[in-house]
Amino acid sequence: MPHDVTMPQLGMAQDAGRIVAWLKAPGEAVAKGDALFEVETDKATMEVEAQTGGYLTGISANEGDDVPVGAVIARISETAEDEAGTPAAASAPEPEPEPEPEAGAALPEGKAVTMPQLGMAQDSGLLVGWLKTPGEAADDLLFEVETDKSTMEVPAGLDGYLAATLAEAGEEVPVGQAVAVISAEKPEAPLSRSAKNAGARPAQGAVPEPAAASAPKTKDPAPEKARAPQAAPPGGRILASPKARRLALEQGLDLGRLAEAGHPQPFHVADLEALRALPDPAAAPATSASASSRRLTATVASDGLPGFVAWAAEAHGLKDADAILAGFAGASLNPGGAATVAIERPGARRAFTVPPGRALSAVAETGDAPALVLRDLRGTALSGVEMGAEEAPVLTLTHAGGGLTITLECAASGLDAAGAIRLLTDFAGRMEQPLRHLL
Amino acid sequence: MREITLSQAVNEAIAEEMRRDPTVFLMGEDVAEAGTPFKVLSGLVEEFGTERVIDTPISEPGFVGLAVGAAMTGARPVVDLMFGDFLYLVMDQLCNQAAKQHYMSGGKLTVPMVLRTNLGATRRSAAQHSQSLQALVAHIPGLKIAMPSSAYEAKGLMKTAIRDNNPVVIFEDKLMYQDKAPVPEEEYLIPFGEAHIKREGSDITLIATSSMVQVAGKAAEMLAAEGIEAEVIDPRTIVPLDEKTLLDSVRKTSRAIVIDEGHQSYGVTAEIASRLNEKAFYHLDAPVLRMGAMDVPVPFSPALEDLTVPTPESVVENARRLCAGELIHAA
Repeated sequence: MPHDVTMPQLGMAQDAGRIVAWLKAPGEAVAKGDALFEVETDKATMEVEAQTGGYLTGISANEGDDVPVGAVIARISETAEDEAGTPAAASAPEPEPEPEPEAGAALPEGKAVTMPQLGMAQDSGLLVGWLKTPGEAADDLLFEVETDKSTMEVPAGLDGYLAATLAEAGEEVPVGQAVAVISAEKPEAPLSRSAKNAGARPAQGAVPEPAAASAPKTKDPAPEKARAPQAAPPGGRILASPKARRLALEQGLDLGRLAEAGHPQPFHVADLEALRALPDPAAAPATSASASSRRLTATVASDGLPGFVAWAAEAHGLKDADAILAGFAGASLNPGGAATVAIERPGARRAFTVPPGRALSAVAETGDAPALVLRDLRGTALSGVEMGAEEAPVLTLTHAGGGLTITLECAASGLDAAGAIRLLTDFAGRMEQPLRHLL
Repeated sequence: MREITLSQAVNEAIAEEMRRDPTVFLMGEDVAEAGTPFKVLSGLVEEFGTERVIDTPISEPGFVGLAVGAAMTGARPVVDLMFGDFLYLVMDQLCNQAAKQHYMSGGKLTVPMVLRTNLGATRRSAAQHSQSLQALVAHIPGLKIAMPSSAYEAKGLMKTAIRDNNPVVIFEDKLMYQDKAPVPEEEYLIPFGEAHIKREGSDITLIATSSMVQVAGKAAEMLAAEGIEAEVIDPRTIVPLDEKTLLDSVRKTSRAIVIDEGHQSYGVTAEIASRLNEKAFYHLDAPVLRMGAMDVPVPFSPALEDLTVPTPESVVENARRLCAGELIHAA
């Protein structure tokens, strides 16, 4: 029968041990008393000896693992190949799923011998080995027990025969739990069983759930993220003394404004004077700008312009792609009338007059100031813009995957909300499906 | 008021307590005939006899253990440890026995003993006779640590120490034995755990122990000439520590430098600075700086030795930088 190798309790308050190293390889022959593995507790590192001979199999705890006391971490089998029934990975021992046949059998009659308390703070003892075999006369020392402090031989304490052993060598047995039965008469059917079959052991209850051992490693990092610093401005951390920060907070002062103003950091209490001297944020251009400017964005799934430009050049001799773009924009801005539209690319700007009606052939270059600027940034790496309102409304084209992002920025006084929405909607429609322009 | 040396102040304190209380006795190497290498205890054996002023063999663990036992059984020994550096020899008696008897006996035993010893470098005594080891014992619960900064404190703290029912370690700076200060003729005690504000100021707090109080005082004078008003505070006992006075001052000035002659790392300055950070963080306008002795064995070479300890000039330089809002150790 394979013998389970469990994590021993080596100290009074120890509830887990760390496997420092296995001193035997899987499948290696093991003699009783051989150092099997090295375990580290909070106090010391110790070698743990094999309680029986055989072959080391079914190792389920790796070097470096923290294993609860009592957990089965390997077994000593009769053959090197015995891999069947590998113990669950470093789990706390559970009652055997299938009790051994004799477990249910009635115990022989007799007096119980219990695990003695050999030290003040001892709550269990490791049964090192039986000094008598079941059926033998229990006239002398009965078993050997190891506590956190020492190993001692325990006498039966009464005359008779060892009728039953209720714990196996290597098992940790709570103080006061019966480990043997001594009968007055020589027993007919002496039995031996494991302490595991004697019901739940207090030692097990004290062991943390297996999950707890690995819990720290898998701890969800989300709470960390949730605690993002509140005051950190988008531009990075502001260096300020704790007192300067506190006073700024109490007085409703924004240190970010001092940083924007280029005031040298770190900020101290004295710098708050400079912050107070900055213009009132209510009158700052940033705030008024956001109240009096518009920014709208449209996304179209595909850019229809290149195909349309090629077709227009071939079918109608319209070779100026900018004029076509200006025609689209002008017609979107002022569907019924004329409009001047400037087309801007990095390093180049051309203005066009777009006459009433949709005739793209009538779009001509002009020197007039534009009523609308179309900034074509499709050739750049830019993916979005936020430039603020300029003199004329600005439509900006940027790539977005296979399609386009079109941004309209204008002063609130330049275009009303409805006009801005209509302009961007019309223009976006034309860019996606240029034939709309002709309808 | 009359002025006496720190040495005379300690002598007076012990003599007064020995006259007042017959259970007080004095013990140590060279305390009787020689009156200690610094002549602090001269004359006591003539008044009190060799029964109460006892020369011991060179056996620090032995006679400190003897004192612990005497204290536990009703006497009030004042033990003289010739150099603070010898503390290493008596660690078990002091930290395992004296400091723990009251606790481990459930309050049944007390150890009313005083261990008188010294600290301080720049006396050209080399690495084994120049250490300032107050942090070593301040770390141990159950011991009280007094660090007089002048003759006045030396007398008042010594008398309080002798009357205290707990083991007290008193560190005198061996460079200050001949320093004079006004000391009243009439009896007075200085309670433990009460810091003393040596100089008031509004811009920065200089917290200093033992002879570093003099260093901080000189630094404060130099700073005043530049328009920086430094407040100088002497905790007088580092265990117990008068946190309130320190925190109140730092809340007022928003800046602090802690100065102590022990090695800077893991030292008294670190402990006090940490408490200020923890309890006055939102009142700090600059990092709290520590100034201790360099983390090296105290050199024998005078030129090198002088470099290892805080000086008024180095304190002034640090204070100036803090008050100017310079970027100090900012990442």
